[in-house]
Amino acid sequence: MCDIYLVDDDQDVLDSLSWMLDGLGLKTQGFLNAATFLSAVDITRPGIAILDIQMPDMDGIALLHHIKAAASPLSVIMLTGHGTITMAVQAIQQGAIDFLEKPVDGDKLSLLLARAKEISLQSFDELRLQTEIDHRVASLTPREHEVMLKVLEGKQNKVIAAELNIAQRTIELHRQKVMQKMQVSNAAELAYLMAKSEE
Amino acid sequence: MKRILLLITSLLSCFASADGNEPLRIGVLSFASPDTVYQRWAPTFDRVAENTGHTFSVLPLTPGELQEFVANDKLDFIIGNALTTVTFKKDYGVSNLLSLVPNYHSDPDHAVGSALITRSSLNIEDIGQLSTMSVVSSDPNAFGGFQILAGELASHSINPFKDFKKLTFVGFPQDKLLNLVLDKKADVAILPSCVLESAIKKGLVPETALKVVLQKEVPNYECAVSSSLYPSYAFSKLGHTDHVLATQVVKSLLKITNKDKEAISGRYQYWSAPVNDREVFRLLRTLNRWPFVTNWEFLLKGAVPWVIGALILLLLGYLHHLRVKRLVVLRTRALSSEMEQHQRTQKELFEQQKQFYKAQRVLLTGEMASGIAHELNQPLAGIRYLTQGCLYRLTPEQGELNSALNKAIEQVDRAQSTIKRFRQFCQQPSVYEKCDLKNLIEETLNLMAPEFKRMHLSPKLSLERVTTIADISLIQQVLVNLIRNALDAMESDDMPQLGIQLVEEDKHAVIIIEDSGIGLSEEALSRLFFPFETSKEKGLGLGMVICKRIVEEHGGQIHAVNLIKGLKITVSLPIKEQQDV
Repeated sequence: MCDIYLVDDDQDVLDSLSWMLDGLGLKTQGFLNAATFLSAVDITRPGIAILDIQMPDMDGIALLHHIKAAASPLSVIMLTGHGTITMAVQAIQQGAIDFLEKPVDGDKLSLLLARAKEISLQSFDELRLQTEIDHRVASLTPREHEVMLKVLEGKQNKVIAAELNIAQRTIELHRQKVMQKMQVSNAAELAYLMAKSEE
Repeated sequence: MKRILLLITSLLSCFASADGNEPLRIGVLSFASPDTVYQRWAPTFDRVAENTGHTFSVLPLTPGELQEFVANDKLDFIIGNALTTVTFKKDYGVSNLLSLVPNYHSDPDHAVGSALITRSSLNIEDIGQLSTMSVVSSDPNAFGGFQILAGELASHSINPFKDFKKLTFVGFPQDKLLNLVLDKKADVAILPSCVLESAIKKGLVPETALKVVLQKEVPNYECAVSSSLYPSYAFSKLGHTDHVLATQVVKSLLKITNKDKEAISGRYQYWSAPVNDREVFRLLRTLNRWPFVTNWEFLLKGAVPWVIGALILLLLGYLHHLRVKRLVVLRTRALSSEMEQHQRTQKELFEQQKQFYKAQRVLLTGEMASGIAHELNQPLAGIRYLTQGCLYRLTPEQGELNSALNKAIEQVDRAQSTIKRFRQFCQQPSVYEKCDLKNLIEETLNLMAPEFKRMHLSPKLSLERVTTIADISLIQQVLVNLIRNALDAMESDDMPQLGIQLVEEDKHAVIIIEDSGIGLSEEALSRLFFPFETSKEKGLGLGMVICKRIVEEHGGQIHAVNLIKGLKITVSLPIKEQQDV
């Protein structure tokens, strides 16, 4: 499930694009400007936004900037009547997955949409995982967090015990708690999880 | 040379006398050679020296010298002719002590006259005839020789300097003049009376070769004379001379008789009491009326300060004239260079304006093309989407429609590529170069000066120097558009105010233009940068679009916000050190 949002200030163009995509079996939601889009759509959900660049108030580039600044998993495709190279470079740099000239060919667009969907879902998963990991890490007590960092450094329990000046038994208990809270079964899995979150 | 020697010897003798008294100085009017004059008078004063116990030095002086010595009180006594004496009496308070009774005559009142001497063959009946003749005389200051006759001529309204055909002064001795007449080098000689008689007595000229013309009958006078008679030499004391001393000298002089050797060498008979000098005064007045015989040197001396003053004034005037002339030249040069510069500036301005309008035209054409392209592009896009949407909905049985719809799409694509080419054709390539924004703003204001003048508005500027890489003519378009919009918004404003700021902020050049105009409605503000949106009657609605496009092409941003009164436009351009692609 991945929503497609169209933002264009020209109602006719909006409708016709929507109708074409409908023909491809793709459901879309249309918005006449950035403000209505932002107020109606939860941008923390995966989805695809096809944005016209030339719009009153907040234009396409500004909206793209807003979406990316909010760490949204939305894939953004820029669409413009007449693009310049400067605009294209700017859009790609800001994180749009493509920059297309109007009117875009339906076949080409459907391929791009498939890719965009994948990217969006993936980044949504990554974001979710990241959030999850952040949650798990946050649930650790300071002492457990300390022990976890030592474990990640690959140190054995007795070394950690010596360094932190605590009984080895206590370390073992802390370690068990960390594995439990981080939902991993061993140190290797923990390292993998943390490495992923740091990407 | 001789005179100097005499002076030295007299000085020496004064030292030799060794009684410590300064020698008394006697100035003697001298025309002839000084030693002759010295020899004539020295015996007389040797005798006076003996009698009085004072020492004397006799100084033969030319009329000029004599006057200078008298003026500076360098003398104690003077011996001069009647005219000199009365002149000094008048000018320097010299007092006449004694008159000289010369040889031949016993009446000191009538001792000297002038004689006009010519060859016996020439007949002169009338004094006017002289003007056609060649006349010689010894010196214009000589009393008997020239001045007495000049007085006679003056009473006949004749100016010898102007009216005589030829008048020559040949100097001394006086016998030389007789020879000039004899040798026919001159027709008439003006000489003191008795010169001719004395020359004949000495056998220097034949007795009948020369004659005195225009003779006057004078009783008891031995020589022929052509003029009235005047007193001869006079002995005078200067104002400062002690009267006791003067009395001693006078006593001593009065004792001299015509038999004494001093009188013989002095060519006189004796000294007498001062004579009536009324006639001499009259002669002086006559002569003074005639500039040719005025005492030039005296007048000159009096006039010298004035002449110098006048010269200085003239010089100053001339200098002033030069200075003014120089100033005029300088000012003219400055003016012409100013004018030249002005013309150049005007030409430059005109050129700039031309460039500006050309750029504007190109931009407008491009923007219009762009706007039209956009307006056409939107429906074309709609058509293409709809057509392709239809294609996606076709069932396999509707194959016929498939190709028709595909052709429709091809037509749309064709139309679109035409539009695209058209737009590309109208776009002009930008020229990026180093651009001093402060200069550019000032230049732009200069370009728009007439409009500011018309509105009686001078913008409040606060400009930092910011330099970046930009297309100068494009940025200028932005500035002109924004400023003109601001001016238009304040058209009906009584107190229009325009502020332009240029600051560097966070690696961006920020230009802020604030006006006090009517501002924009919220709706107009949101569509400010859209083509064909205009609040102006004759506007095309492309100005702000062009601005936005140019600013964005430079990687910058443009914003507009309403102020309480007026509008504030902020243009921010990234500062680039060098041009990137």
